[in-house]
Parts: sequence; structure tokens; C-alpha cells
Amino acid sequence: MPSVDQQPPHGKAYWRSLDELADTPAFREFLHREFPAGAADLIDSGQRRQFLKIMGASLALAGLGLGGCRRWPKEKITPFAHRPPGRVPGLPLHYATSMELGGVASGLLVTSYDGRPIKVEGNPEHPTSRGATDALAQASVLGLYDPDRSRNLMTVAGGQRTTSSWRAFDEWAGKEFQRLADANAKGAGLAVLSEATSSPSVNDLKRRLLARLPRATWHEYEPINNDHELAGSTGVFGSPHRTHYAFERAKIIVSLDSDFLHIHPAAVKHTRDFAATRRADDPQRTMSRLYVFEPGYSLTGANADHRFPVRGADVGIVLGLIAKRLMGELRPSSSIAQQRFEQTTPADVGVEQAAFDRMIEDLDSHRGESLVVAGRRQPAEVHALTHAINEHLGNFGSTVSFSTLPDAQAHVASITDLVNNMAAGAVETLVMLGGNPVYDAPADLEFAHHLGRVPTSIHLSLYDDETSKRSTWHLPRAHYLESWSDARAFDGTLGVVQPIIAPLFGGRTPIELLATISADRLSEGQAIVRRTFASLGRFPDVDRSWKRTLHEGFLAASPSARQPKIRRKGLGDFVGDIWQRWPGPESEGFELAFAPDASVYDGRFANNGWLQELPDPLTKLTWDNAVLMSPRAARELGVTTGDMVTLTHQGRSVKAAVCVMPGQHARSVTLALGYGRRDIGVIAQDAGFDFYPLRTTDAMGFALGAVIEPTGATYELAQTQDHHALDTISGRGAQERLPSIFREATRQEYLDKPGFANDHHHTGAHVVHRLSLWDENTVQGAQYRWGMSIDLNACTGCSACMVACQAENNIPIVGKDQVKRGRELHWIRVDRYFKGNDPERPEAIALQPVPCMMCENAPCEQVCPVAATTHDADGLNVMIYNRCIGTRYCSNNCPYKVRRFNYFDYHKREPVREGGALHVTADYYTRPQTDTHPLKQMQFNPEVTVRSRGVMEKCTYCIQRISAAKITAKNAWMKLSDDQKREDPRVTIPDGSLTTACAQACPAGAIVFGDLGDPSSSVAALRGHERSYEMLEELNTKPRTTYLAKLRNPIPDLIASPNPRTPDDHTGA
Amino acid sequence: MTTLALDNTFDDPTRRAPLVLGHDEFSTVTEKICGVNEARRAPRAWYIAFAISLFFTGILGVMILYLFATGVGVWGNQNPVMWGFPIINFVFWIGIGHAGTLISAILYLFRQKWRTAINRFAEAMTIFAVICALMFPSIHVGRVWVLYWTIPIPNQMELWPQFRSPLIWDFFAVGTYFTVSFLFWYVGMIPDLATLRDRATTRLRAIVYGIFALGWRGSIRHWHRYERAYLLLAALATPLVLSVHSVVSFDFAISQLPGWHTTIFPPYFVAGAIFSGFAMVMTLAIPARQLWGLKDFITLRHLENMNKIILVTGSMVGYAYIMEFFTSWYSGSLYEWFGFANRAFGPYAWAYWIMVSCNVLVPQIFWFKAARQSIWVMFIASLLVNLGMWFERFVIIVTSLAQDFLPSSWGYYVPTWVDLLMLAGSFGLFLTLFLLFCRYLPIIAIAEVKAVMPKAHAHESEASR
Repeated sequence: MPSVDQQPPHGKAYWRSLDELADTPAFREFLHREFPAGAADLIDSGQRRQFLKIMGASLALAGLGLGGCRRWPKEKITPFAHRPPGRVPGLPLHYATSMELGGVASGLLVTSYDGRPIKVEGNPEHPTSRGATDALAQASVLGLYDPDRSRNLMTVAGGQRTTSSWRAFDEWAGKEFQRLADANAKGAGLAVLSEATSSPSVNDLKRRLLARLPRATWHEYEPINNDHELAGSTGVFGSPHRTHYAFERAKIIVSLDSDFLHIHPAAVKHTRDFAATRRADDPQRTMSRLYVFEPGYSLTGANADHRFPVRGADVGIVLGLIAKRLMGELRPSSSIAQQRFEQTTPADVGVEQAAFDRMIEDLDSHRGESLVVAGRRQPAEVHALTHAINEHLGNFGSTVSFSTLPDAQAHVASITDLVNNMAAGAVETLVMLGGNPVYDAPADLEFAHHLGRVPTSIHLSLYDDETSKRSTWHLPRAHYLESWSDARAFDGTLGVVQPIIAPLFGGRTPIELLATISADRLSEGQAIVRRTFASLGRFPDVDRSWKRTLHEGFLAASPSARQPKIRRKGLGDFVGDIWQRWPGPESEGFELAFAPDASVYDGRFANNGWLQELPDPLTKLTWDNAVLMSPRAARELGVTTGDMVTLTHQGRSVKAAVCVMPGQHARSVTLALGYGRRDIGVIAQDAGFDFYPLRTTDAMGFALGAVIEPTGATYELAQTQDHHALDTISGRGAQERLPSIFREATRQEYLDKPGFANDHHHTGAHVVHRLSLWDENTVQGAQYRWGMSIDLNACTGCSACMVACQAENNIPIVGKDQVKRGRELHWIRVDRYFKGNDPERPEAIALQPVPCMMCENAPCEQVCPVAATTHDADGLNVMIYNRCIGTRYCSNNCPYKVRRFNYFDYHKREPVREGGALHVTADYYTRPQTDTHPLKQMQFNPEVTVRSRGVMEKCTYCIQRISAAKITAKNAWMKLSDDQKREDPRVTIPDGSLTTACAQACPAGAIVFGDLGDPSSSVAALRGHERSYEMLEELNTKPRTTYLAKLRNPIPDLIASPNPRTPDDHTGA
Repeated sequence: MTTLALDNTFDDPTRRAPLVLGHDEFSTVTEKICGVNEARRAPRAWYIAFAISLFFTGILGVMILYLFATGVGVWGNQNPVMWGFPIINFVFWIGIGHAGTLISAILYLFRQKWRTAINRFAEAMTIFAVICALMFPSIHVGRVWVLYWTIPIPNQMELWPQFRSPLIWDFFAVGTYFTVSFLFWYVGMIPDLATLRDRATTRLRAIVYGIFALGWRGSIRHWHRYERAYLLLAALATPLVLSVHSVVSFDFAISQLPGWHTTIFPPYFVAGAIFSGFAMVMTLAIPARQLWGLKDFITLRHLENMNKIILVTGSMVGYAYIMEFFTSWYSGSLYEWFGFANRAFGPYAWAYWIMVSCNVLVPQIFWFKAARQSIWVMFIASLLVNLGMWFERFVIIVTSLAQDFLPSSWGYYVPTWVDLLMLAGSFGLFLTLFLLFCRYLPIIAIAEVKAVMPKAHAHESEASR
């Protein structure tokens, strides 16, 4: 693949003459004189008149003719002289690869146009992804083209950071590591700090490195790690194990602070499996029931049937109480613990006794099909006891299985060791393979301080970041789309990471760097990965298997049949720990609960604009994180959303803004990690607050006893949904209409009344009339009738669809300032509503994806003065960007408010955080066009128009995909015999062969797209489903996008229906 | 003559109140009114006012350039409030532009002779207000360079505007209104332009006024044709007074947005427009008659009559406000009822109550004769009504859009400084044009006023008894 890097980091690539290379004055003079021809004549006064005449005429032609003043961008076209093999111009290619995050790979399929990867999808064959992805993978393609990525090696020379080159590094490294490999050194003084990785190649190289340099040390650190889970499983099984859940078999699920549906390495699989248990499509309408105990809302909590806000420190007690009821023989030994064990009731941790009893009954009566899941923030004893309960309930082998992780390291211990070595002066050379420990290492280790005392530190990183700036060498890392590597998925499936594009900035992979360090025979990434591959199994024909694996993208792992057994011996201590370490129901100060962020994860995606602008699924915050605080705590502190507070814990303090979040435990605040980064790029600059300084080795999950004080200052947060306090008229108005907009019922109600979704007594919706002011466009004789069905019951609200849409449809980000003004451009959004009147404990959360409804009777079309939005032959409501003059009337008349307007030319702007009075940064017009623009353009989908300023846009149902599918289908049809043609006069596009970007990304399979005109299509079937309803149907818009009503499965008779509405509440009839 | 009271505001039905006060002869009327235009120097106040107005017009120009160069995002418009200040200003100025033609055409047809003193200036006000109004929707579009696509121009692609869109109806309604109003104003001014031409002391004045006087010689034939044309134009303009704001109201009523989708909008908008138009006439007439000593022509009785109209139309508007609530409640629609309850008690309640106080409560003071005759009371009241009517448009447009059907999309609209400067700039443009008019064109219809002077009466002595 050709490199697209036109500008090597240093030196001139080609020169026309030796004079140019030397840049001599003679050459400059020559350049100056060379052109324009006749320029010298202008100085001759005799010619001046002639000159003025010509200039006058040009001005008249250019200026007055108007056509002349249109400035087209300059472009260079470089066609191929010979077509590369296997390439058809204009046709995209798909490559399978893997993206590793936190040591777990997800299988991907990347679409590439002309050598440019533009879109990431899940690999449909891959066992964990099954074609779906999360938002982070969807957005990763933008990370590839990030103009702020590091382009140069940096080194320290004479106390100054200067740019360097790979050649210089290789030369230096050859000597340096040779010196370390000396017979007497044997690697003493060398330490390697790696990210968590499951790459067999890295492990192989690690083995080779340690064989060559036996005294070197290898450390691993990720801020979001599985230390507790590993410690728990080691405690009860004797060795570290990874837990696998089979949600599809679980009827009763108890989540103890686990966000298994969202921020979990296997969330995509979990979402798919969990959604399968919620469809209630069998005659008995069976559904799983999910109980969640957590301090602040997670997406899993938002999808719970019963959610209990408990402090993070109380989650263990909930588990202890469950164990007490189910496994009474497990008693703690110490007296304090015993006393607590005897006396504590669920009410002490804020859980209603009645609900708790019913949960125990549920668990007890669903042996083998229940599941207790512990979150990774929870301490080891919680994980250990969870395993014991699952075993007790007979879930081992049914809903829970395990795989061993022989190489697993405890990350906190590992980095603590490293820092101790650094402090002792035992580390001379530190190699950091990715990661960003200066930013995200536990605060009490003072990593930055100790790093400064290491003589030689090498940091391989995508960005010239916090750690790079404090290291003696910064090496640009290749993005995974530029890399050869391998990695294992959550279930152990081996995935090969293959490059889709040559490194844009000449970055290298950790594998290549390790090869350099260990002076490996091989230096090419591909060769190393292939060598590892060959060693992984007994292949009859390695070459064939390799090619096949590259093509498929993965090599299935053989499942480990043996399941571990709980060792009773260690268990007692863990039970003791749970009761012993509990701070009691009341403790001083606030609990700080650290959480990875839904957008930037641990901070590594902080410079990704799509993710920064992707609203948090629950807080709807963009471009920032905040201190998520319950309304009661906020009231007590006298603060509200946007007020700054100081968080102090053990002498460390951080200032941050508050965001009031219903459902948060009153004594616990949630702090999303990964923000507050500085000087790594335009996007990450000043986004949010860095909470790592509060996170210490003993408080990686929770920190108790923090003090929060208002500072009096305020900070502007940009949320895509405004809060309306529940007691205002707006809040009441919203609650009043929710049952009609977001239709839901309990399972019991569904059993009693299967057609509840269209029962006006149930939903409070108005009775529908079908009268139109105008003759309706019936779209009769249309070849296709595209439609979409969104299953609210399956949707978890993860927002992967939003990023998928953004990537597919060239949707720009607008910046925080513009989000504050409500100008975000997402074509599909996920609406979030809190239900109920108690802000401390909402009855439920409603999450509803809203794309364009493609109304057959579209209100937008009728009001456009220039007919820029009309129906096409298939009945789609389409926007004609060329015709749009931007009156914005269509948006005013759109009841779903799905239309988006380009207030500025957002693609040409750097996103502005604080637009200030002028809305544009001062250098908006004056800044010369840098090469950042072509770089960003490389991501564009060539099949989708890039919209300019002043034009309305909206969801198109991915019309470019529809067109492509039509062309394929019609071409195939033309090749049929006459008889076959007669059989299929409609030219059917096979159901499932065409889908939209949002539907393709959805891990829950909640979005289904297809042809309503094809009676056998799944979308046609779903439209006829009894739970199917049209949002705002009373407006007679006849939407093509319909919803399947949500079902919840609370304990019958315990909690009232989510719709406590009397039948004659409304006068709609 | 001596019995002619300086007060013509008496309510004695047995006596005909004089429409012109003072002891003017025909010639002194001409002298006085033309004197405004012919004075070598305008009053100092004019220069000050003109300088300020011109300054704001300049700001408007700069803002428009900034807007074109940057994008419509410089305004506070957002999702869901896609229309903000520009459309508010548009409807506001169109409303102002109502009184002129109403006074000229409808009162003319009803033979309300008192109109003569104020019609010229009210018409001029109309023209300038409509110019301000037309500017806003034109610069409001996202791609201003293709604005002409809204005009039905035959083209090779056979692309037409969409005639179902109220914006196209608007284009025709306002365009027609402007054309007819302009013609009406100009035709009515021809005899007076001829007067100015005849009195011209400089060559330039003679030529310029001469061109626009279209060779008027004052012959019987000229007068005959003139009267016919004027009557026909009055007949043509009358339905337009009702239609233009009805059509403007369709921009809202045709949509399905709660708060916009109501059938009472056309009469409600027309009443509101007349209301605001009269208030603006007051706002302009009171200082003008003071400045140029025209109290004999624009008498207190004129002002009192206008106050009565303000009272009537203000109460009509108040009735409309109440009816809106009733219909939304009676509809039984969740969205409608919320829309109105939210208007009065939601986040924009402040705007709603400014509107109600200024438009409904303030005019009630004109039930009192003393208030109707107090220059200061009526001047302040007229300013408040202007403010209230601007807020009426703000309330209708912004509150309806800010919180419509889906609570997830609800927002809160805040204008930017560009919005505010453009509003100020539109006043600058309006006043600049108006001040130029005062300086260079006859601000009172000289020929018509002479016809209603006591002197023109056949039985002058009886009339003045």
C-alpha cells in the first residue's frame, strides 16, 4: 500500500537541482526570475497602460460576471498508470482486523476506499462481535486521521526537546540495548512498562527479551484494570480466571456495581445476549429480570427492572446479605464482623426489605439460570463471594464459565514495583509501550516525579502526551489500522491486526519496538506476527491457515472444558473481609466512585472529536466530565449543575464542575476518568476535569471520606438535553406526555393486554384521525418501501449508533460552544428521560433512539418554499442539499426535531470550545490552510455529500447504501432468464443484505431496517407486531420509523406500573 | 374667527370639530409645510437624530456583512428555535407597516377626513417599515446567494418554488403590499411634489422635484385623473391591509406546532398589526409635530382619535390572548394546553407577562379622556405598546419553538449581540429613511389638508361659529 505521507518529517524528498537542495541565493534568484513571464515588463512605463487595460478587463470578467469569483479548491489528481491488482475504482474493499482495548480485542471489518479506511464495522463472523461494535470502535477510524497525532520522534538533547528520526533512534537503540545486553549487565536497569495486552506476539517477544536480558523487569499497567477480579478468582480458584457470562441463559440477573452492558470488554456480546432474554416473543412472554445495585447510574442500571442506589462501599454488604440468606453457613469469624453479620439488614444500606426478599426468592427459585455479576471496581472479596454464590446457585457451567489467564499481572502492584525500583535508582532505562502513566498512574506513586529521575525513558505513544513530554525519547506509535499485530478477544479468539493503510506519520508498533530492543532476527511486524501465528497451533498448512485467518480476521479458540472449583478454605476470609472492612452505614464525607468514561474511556480517546461530542448516554454531557451528584447532596451543598466544587481526599484536591444526576446515591459522587488533558491536541484541550490526582493505589475504585466544598465559581457544561426540574411546569409537562412518546408496560400488563402499545387508555395518546390538508403522497407503485423498526426493549442506549452514523455520513463535530447553543448535528440521537416524580430515585430511565421518521405525510415537505425536501420514488423523505436555501422552516415544522442545520461550515472549522462573542476563533479566516484538512478529508465517505454552510440535513436511511444495493440487485436481475424475471418483477433486494449504519452497529439488534413492501422482510413483520407503535401518530405524519414498546419485568405487585394512569385521564376521544 | 377654540377635543355633538386649528390661510399652510423642506438648515434635533440613526444603519450594514461572511450561526438561532430575532423583527416591522395603508386607504374610503393630517407620514412609515421587514427574511436564509430561488422565475430546469409553502405566499403578499403601498403613497404625493417644484429656489430642487412631479400642472383634467387613480388605489390597498398580515400569520398557523397552529391567527395578527402600527404613528407624530410646529395640523383631536383606535385594537388583542387559552384548553390536546400554560408560567413567562402588560393593560388607560389628551401619557403608552408588540412576536415564535412535542429537544433560546445590534440597526434604518423623508418630502398632504380647512368650507362662518 502506498504511503500517503507526502511530507517526510525532515529534509526535502526530491529536488530539481543541486542548487535547490543547497537552497543557494542563486537558486532563489532563479526562482524569483523564472516566472511570471513578462513580469519584468510591468516596470516599463510604456507598457503600463496596456497592463491596466488587461487588468481592468479581467476585473470586469471576474468580478462582474459573478461566475468568476467562485473559488474552487485546488486539487491535484494523480491517476494510477496501472491499476493495482484486485482493485476496482469506486468499489470499497473490506478487510478484517482487530482493535485491542485494555488487553481485549474486538473483531472488526474495515471499509476502505482507495486505500483509505473510512468505516469500521463489527466482523459478522467473529464470535464476540457478530457484526456489531461499540461506540469506541466506531470512532477509532477518526483517531487514525487525527491531525494532532504525533508525527515526530522527540528526544532530549542538551536539556532541550528536539525532533529526531527513526534512523537516529535505531542507531542509538542499537548501542544502548547492546550495552544492556552485555554479559555482566544482562538487562539490569532495564524495565518495560506495557499496556495490558493479549497479543501473543508481544508475549513471545517479551519471552525472548527476558531470555536475552534476564535481569530486565516487565510491568503492566492500565488505569482500568481487572486487579480485583483476578485477586478474587485467584483467592477461590487458586489461579487467576476470567469470568464469562451467558446472559442468554440467565432469567434472574443481579448486578453488583457491574456495568456489563456498557463499559465492559465483552459489552457487545453481553448486550446481544441480554437483549435476547428481553424480547418476550414466546407465548409465555418470558423475560429476564435484572436487579442492579450501584452508586450512580450506569447504562446497566438504566436497563434494570429494579435498581437500588447504594454506595460503592455498601455493595459488598448487599452481597454479604445475599450470601447470608442463601448460604447461611458462611459466617465471618471475627467478632465485629459477626456482630455486623447478625444485625445488618438490607434497610441499613438503603434497600427495601420486601424487594430484597423477593430477589432472594427469585435467585433461589432459578438455580442454574440465575447470575450474580460483580463489577470490577468492587474489591477482591466481592468477586470471590460472587463466585461462591454462583456456584451455590448451580450457575457454574450454565450461566457462568471461566477461562484461565496464566500471564495476568496485578497492575497496581506491578506499577508500584516499578515506581519503587525507579525510586531506588534501579531503573536506568524505562521503555513504555503505550499507556500514559504520568497522567493515569495512581496519584500516590508520583510517577512523574520518579520518571524524571530515570536517566533514559522511551515512550511509544500515539500522541506526544504527558508521559512523552517527560521522557527522554518519544516515539510515534502506529494506529491499529496501520499496524501488524495480534490480540485475543474476551473469549480467547485470536484476532490478527492487519494494517489497512501504511503508517501516516511513520509510527511503529510495540511489536516492532520490542523487536528492536530485543535485537530480534525479524524486524517487520508482519513477519513477527506470522512467526507467532505459526507457533500457536499445529497447522497442517501454515501458509493456508495464515491466509485464511487474515481473510476471516480471527482464529477461533478452543473453549476450555474444565471449570474450576471453589476452594472453601479461602472463602471464609473473604466473607470476613466483606463484613470487617465495611465502614458502616454512615461514614464521614462523600464516597468518590471512579468510573471509566463512556466516551474517552481512560483518557486515550480524549482527542477524538466524535467521542467528545457524543453525549454521555445518561448525563447527556458532551466535551466534559463532571462530578455527578445526587439532587439531595447538591441541595445540601448549595450547588447546582455548573457550579464548581473542590473535592478533597487525603490531602489531594481537585476542582471540578457539578452535574446533578438523578438516581445517584446521596453520599456518593461519580467521577468519570479520562478528561482534563492538556497539550495533546485541539480536541482534548481543556475538556473536563482530571480526577486521576484523587485516585490512589488503595482507592482505585472508591475513595471514602472525601470532602466536597463549593468554590463559588461556575463552569459552563454543554448538555444535549436540557434539564427541567420535575416540579416546574416543563418537568410536569414532560412527565405527562412521556407515556405516549415512550410507550412501555410491565410484563404482567403485556400478558393482560398484548395490544397495550396502541391502547389509548394505557398510553394516554390522543385518538388518531387520518385527515389531511393536502392530497397525500401515497407513493403508489413504489418499487420499495423502506422502513425501520426500533425495539425499545432491546435498546440499551449505548449510543454506538450515533457514532456509526457520524462516521458513515460525514457528519462534522461542532464544538462545545455550538453544542451549548443546541447546534449538534447528530442525525440519530438517543433521547433520555427520567420517569417519576422523585429526582433522588427515578422510577426508570427511558432511552429512545430517534432518527428521521421518514414520514409519509411529512410536515417538513409542505413548508419548504423551494421544495428542497420531498419524497423520492421509494417514499423516502429526502433532502436535496443543492436546492436548500436554508429557511429552516422544515425544522420548525418537524415534530420530532430530527433536522439539523449547518449554521457554519463546520467541516472547515476547528471545533470551538468557548466561541465567545464572535463565535469564531480569531484566526478562523486568516489561518492558512494546513495539511490537517486533507487529513480529515481522508476519512470522508465518498458516497455521501459533504454539506456546506446554510444547508439543512438529516437522516437519509443511509440512502447511499440503498442505492448501492439497488444497483447490485438490478444488475443481478438483468442477468436472470425471462422466466425468473417474471417471478420477481419487483427486483427484490434480499432482506438483510442491506442495512443502515446505525442498525449495523447496534449490538442489541434493536434497529431493524428493510423493505416494508416485501412481506417476508423482518421489518414488515416487526411493523405488524403488537408492540409496534408510531411516535406522535396523532399528528398523522405516518412515520416509516416505528418503535416496539418497552417492556419491564419488575416483581409483580411490588412496585406499581410505570404508567399509573387512569383510563379517562384524557379527553382525546 | 375669534370664536375658534384652540381646543378641538370637545365632545359636543352639535358642533363640528375643526380638523385644522390656527389662523392659517391656504397660502400659509403651504408656507408652513413646505417650510419644513425648504429651510436651509433643519432643526438641530434633526441633525442629532439623523446622526444617531445613520450610525445604527451603519451598524446594520456591518452586521449584515459579518453575517454573510460567517454564516447564520452568528445569531442565537438553534435547534429547536430555528427562527429567532430575524423573523420576530420581520413580523414586528410588517405589523408597523399596517397603520399607514389603513389610515390612507380604509379611512379614505370611509371618508374619515381627519386622516389627512397624518396619512402622508403614516404611509411613509409603512413603506420604511416594510423595507425593514423585507430585509429580515432575505438575510435570514442560510444560503443568501440563492435566495432568488423563492421567486418563480421560468428556468431551464423547470424548477418552481413550492406553492404550498406559506413562505411563498408571504413573498407574494408582502411584495404586493409594498408595491401598492408605495404607489399609493407616491400618487398621493404628486400634487405636493409639484408645489415644491414650483416653489423651488434652486435649480437642483426644481429638476429633482420636477422629475417626480411627473409634469403635474394642477389642471382640472389632472385633478380628475388623480382623484380617480387615488380612489382606485385606495380600493386596491384596502383588502391588502387585511390580507398581508393574514398571510404572514399563515407562516405560523399552517404549521402543526402547538402555539402556532391556531385558526384565530389571521384576525388576531391583523388587529395586532393595526394596534402596533398606530402606536408607531404616535411615537413618530408626537415628536414631529413638536419639532416642526405642526400642532395646528396634527391636532390633539387627531391624537385622541388614534388613542381610541389603540384602545380598541389593544382590547381585541387581549381578547385574542384569552381565546387562545380557551381554544387550547378546549382542544383537549396535551401539547396545545401545555404550550399555552408553559407560555404563561414556563421559562418564558417573563416575556409573556411583558407582552400582556404592555398590550392589554397599558392601553386601558385610554378609557380616561385626560390620558387620551396627555401628550406624555400617550407617548409613553405608545412606546410601551411598541415594546409589547415586539414581545408578542417573541412569545409566539420563541416559546412555541423552544418547547414543542418531544421534551428531549426542548431548549432555551438566547439571542446574541448580533441579534440585538441588528434589531437596533433596523430601527436605525427605519429612522434614517423617516428623517430623510421629513427633510425632503412634504410630511403632510398639503392639497388634502387645504380641503378640510374651515376655510375651504362653503359656510365657513357657520362652521366656525
